[in-house]
Amino acid sequence: MKINPLFTEKILTKFIREELKKFHFEKAVLGLSGGLDSSVAAFLCARAIGAQNVLAIIMPYGKSFQENFSDAKKVVKILKINSKIIDIKPMLDTYYSKYPIKNRLIKGNKMARERMSILYDFSSREKAIVIGTSNKTELLLGYGTIYGDMASGINPIGDLYKTQIKQIAKHLGVPQEIIKKSPSAGFWPGQTDEKEIGIKYEELDKILFQIVDLRKQKDEVISMGFSEKTITRIAEMIKKSEFKRNLPPIPKISERSVGHDLLFPYDWGK
Amino acid sequence: MKVALVQISPILQDINKNFIQHLEFIEKARKQNVDLVIFPELSLTGYRLRDLVPEVAINPNHHNLFHELKQLSKEISIVLGFVEEKERGQYFNSAAFLSNGKTLHIHRKVFLPNYGMFEEAKFFNQGKIFSAFQTPFGKTGLLICYDFLHYGANYALFSQGADIIIVLSAAPGRGTSEKQAFASSHMWELMGETISRFSTLFLIYCNRVGFEDGKSFAGGSFIYNPEGKLIARASYVDEDFLIQGINLKDLSKARQRLLYKRDNKPEVILRSLNKAVIENEN
Repeated sequence: MKINPLFTEKILTKFIREELKKFHFEKAVLGLSGGLDSSVAAFLCARAIGAQNVLAIIMPYGKSFQENFSDAKKVVKILKINSKIIDIKPMLDTYYSKYPIKNRLIKGNKMARERMSILYDFSSREKAIVIGTSNKTELLLGYGTIYGDMASGINPIGDLYKTQIKQIAKHLGVPQEIIKKSPSAGFWPGQTDEKEIGIKYEELDKILFQIVDLRKQKDEVISMGFSEKTITRIAEMIKKSEFKRNLPPIPKISERSVGHDLLFPYDWGK
Repeated sequence: MKVALVQISPILQDINKNFIQHLEFIEKARKQNVDLVIFPELSLTGYRLRDLVPEVAINPNHHNLFHELKQLSKEISIVLGFVEEKERGQYFNSAAFLSNGKTLHIHRKVFLPNYGMFEEAKFFNQGKIFSAFQTPFGKTGLLICYDFLHYGANYALFSQGADIIIVLSAAPGRGTSEKQAFASSHMWELMGETISRFSTLFLIYCNRVGFEDGKSFAGGSFIYNPEGKLIARASYVDEDFLIQGINLKDLSKARQRLLYKRDNKPEVILRSLNKAVIENEN
């Protein structure tokens, strides 16, 4: 689980630089929430391509989550990256005044997709690639909004567990208060990932590492001292969210079909 | 003799641009009196080709790029990787040794990794043999990436009298460690040290760098001498152009101290292998 932060930084910054070059971008745009993942992504981008080429968009919903808002501004100030504040309350409220709903999860997903749509809009305006900020823990559990925060052009931190993100955050000099606060999707006040998933990240990542990286069977992981109930729930979350990690299936009709046997590399010609 | 390892990041599919890059490095090596310049696996085409394999495939017997490379090999020997169309529609992950205006040998990758992130056997034919061949520098064997991780392949070349084994590689890095390198780089070095020492030959490993579809090739090309000592290593992960002198007299020196070559018994090993093959069939 321990990573070499210096070497990891080197690989990730090199990746950002190379991908931008390959896909003919000079700039990067990302949604900065003030949380750990997007802060780390911002630090990596600034180091990789220079602060002047990074645009962080802070997209609060009205006046809620003031703490995150000020943490996001702190990151902008430290890194001296470009930033923009776009309040998504007017757009969301207009929509929900017409199609009201109480379910806060549905509303939270809509918020994530509103932010995505703003990021992609600025991607075109600024000719900047959208930087993904989903970590490996979230991606495996499907703890993210499909076509919302899970959408991006490249995702430099997608193979780092949350606890590994913490390791690299310390190395990069991300402010302590951002590293220490409870991670949250920010769908509603008081929501935290650990409360919602029902397990501490440290334990969760250890389990995921055993199942995914070390390919351990369920009974092997249980024999290490983890509760069967927890393991079963985590395994179920991975299974149920596979659709979020793949493109939608297409029914095969022809001899050669998109998503089946049209097998070109992503970096075609790059 | 002087060897150059060209640790580059080829462009996927763009043979012409890659060819120009080859010419530049060959010229650079030639100017520094290098005798043998080595490129990584699939250096002319890039690695993760998938359905692009047929588009970039060439037959070295009648292809203008190869003709030009052969001309250049009159002044400097060249080892490179490419997609070979041996017969129509039959594609191999191949490596060529060019010298004195001729193709001295073509090795077709035998062990095609086909698990996890690898899918070579889906797109390539399998090579059928490991052959050592005469070069101006001594008997030499070529291996491509995963070939090298099978000690039997190395043993075959050793038993055929190889003084030099050249490995062309496109090895993606995995895992981090205390070192400023991927953990997987250690595996290659371990094999390099082992094979060079226990076969008393020069082991030259040329890996590539750069990203393809998010996979980072680990670099760290190296040369071990016939006593298992690391004599040169290129940078991990970053592009590099490494020139290293090799003293072929080290072969005799090593073989006076380490008697594996003299005491090798390929006929006993072959008999034992035949036994294994027969038993595995039942």
